[in-house]
Amino acid sequence: MIRFSKVNKWYGKYHALVDISQDVGKGEVVVVCGPSGSGKSTLIRTVNRLEEIQDGQITLNGTQVHDKSLDLNQFRTKVGFVFQQFNLFPHMSAIENVCLAPTKVAGRSRNEALERGMALLERVGLAHKASSYPQQLSGGQQQRVAIARALAMEPPVMLFDEPTSALDPEMVGEVLNVMKSLARDGMTMMCVTHEMNFAREVADKVWFMDHGQLVETGTPAAFFSNPTSDRARRFLSDLRSH
Amino acid sequence: MGEILSTHLPSLLIGQYPNGPLGGLALTLILSVLGLGLAFPLGIGLALCRIAPYAVLRVPSTIVVYVVRGVPLVMLVFWSYFLVPTLIGQAVSAFTTLVVTLVIYQAAYMSEIVRAGIESLPRGQTEAARSLGMSYGRTMRSILLPQALYNMLPSLISQFVSTIKETSIGYVISVHELTYSAGQVNSALLTKPLQVFATLSLIYFVVCFALTRCAHAVDGRITRRRAGVTPLVESKVHDPVLQG
Repeated sequence: MIRFSKVNKWYGKYHALVDISQDVGKGEVVVVCGPSGSGKSTLIRTVNRLEEIQDGQITLNGTQVHDKSLDLNQFRTKVGFVFQQFNLFPHMSAIENVCLAPTKVAGRSRNEALERGMALLERVGLAHKASSYPQQLSGGQQQRVAIARALAMEPPVMLFDEPTSALDPEMVGEVLNVMKSLARDGMTMMCVTHEMNFAREVADKVWFMDHGQLVETGTPAAFFSNPTSDRARRFLSDLRSH
Repeated sequence: MGEILSTHLPSLLIGQYPNGPLGGLALTLILSVLGLGLAFPLGIGLALCRIAPYAVLRVPSTIVVYVVRGVPLVMLVFWSYFLVPTLIGQAVSAFTTLVVTLVIYQAAYMSEIVRAGIESLPRGQTEAARSLGMSYGRTMRSILLPQALYNMLPSLISQFVSTIKETSIGYVISVHELTYSAGQVNSALLTKPLQVFATLSLIYFVVCFALTRCAHAVDGRITRRRAGVTPLVESKVHDPVLQG
């Protein structure tokens, strides 16, 4: 579904992504983990071209993502993206946030968009907050609205960039629950997260990154019980020592 | 002051109208509304050019903004009053000259307010909009501008208030606005400049103060609407995800 081949990215002289080659299969849930500054977020942001790459290729369902002639706006409707900071539009209510892309980008009728939008809010458990503005919602609720918004264009792929890192601990669970139900429904997902329990329970594959390199990939069972690289072993023992 | 008000108030408010041209406060307000009404879209346009990805738009708009902001308004008025008729070879009314000058002057200042408003929004807003497949233009229209203009409402209102005061520059090219009318009343009375100009200041103050208060009221209403009061029934009890 998503194929990285020999992807390289530099920020000036800094080599942010080093020769990344790996596939994400259809319906697969991939958790990308690693220490901060290892390039996880950069990697996931290259998939919908929030970040450009300097070398290599990324294809999504056969589309060359970094092809200059790609209709980027059209392409992005097929990739849902969820941000660490939610990034809801504060001047719009929850339902308006969700209906924005379907009405303005896909040109659906207002009624149709509203109906689907309400169904999506229902799915993330926030139908009763449809007319609330982002400031009236808790962090966990905002992130769930943001997930509903990303789902509104019915993308076959969802990308999550540390979706629970900005949340108070008691709100992490509600967001993870929504993500788990998406995974159960067969959504192809790439998640950058520090929630190792989520990785253990839900992920099909764990990718471990360090210094811009994809150091190790494997099933969660193999990765957590028997990491092959030193770097991953140290990372996991650092996590456990907390 | 009472005598001035009772006999000369009409000429301060509407000039010679209906026996002569409209003037006084009425003309001042017309100038302000026209000036700002035209400067507002022009200012937004200038701001968009200033942050445009294309140097063709960015460089000239930056020059215009810097030049206009670096010159006193009265100079701009003189320049357009004497230069424009020479350039286009026909007379331009003082009223038109003043409106055009005010528009250019205000647009330059307003563009900086709008630009600051847009640039102070978190980057995530743009990223979220673009990730949904919205174009640059659509993102600007639906996401960035509405927030920027709202955040900048206090600055925009104070700009409007300052436009009202700046129309008094029309005095130097004999546009019959409020200050000019007061000047005429003063010439007729000869002996009461203090009272006349105190009255003049008072009128400006009342109009500007009233407007500022209205602005605060509007600002407060939007803020309250956004912050909102959450009814008690919408508690976590009805939240299926939390329950699940």
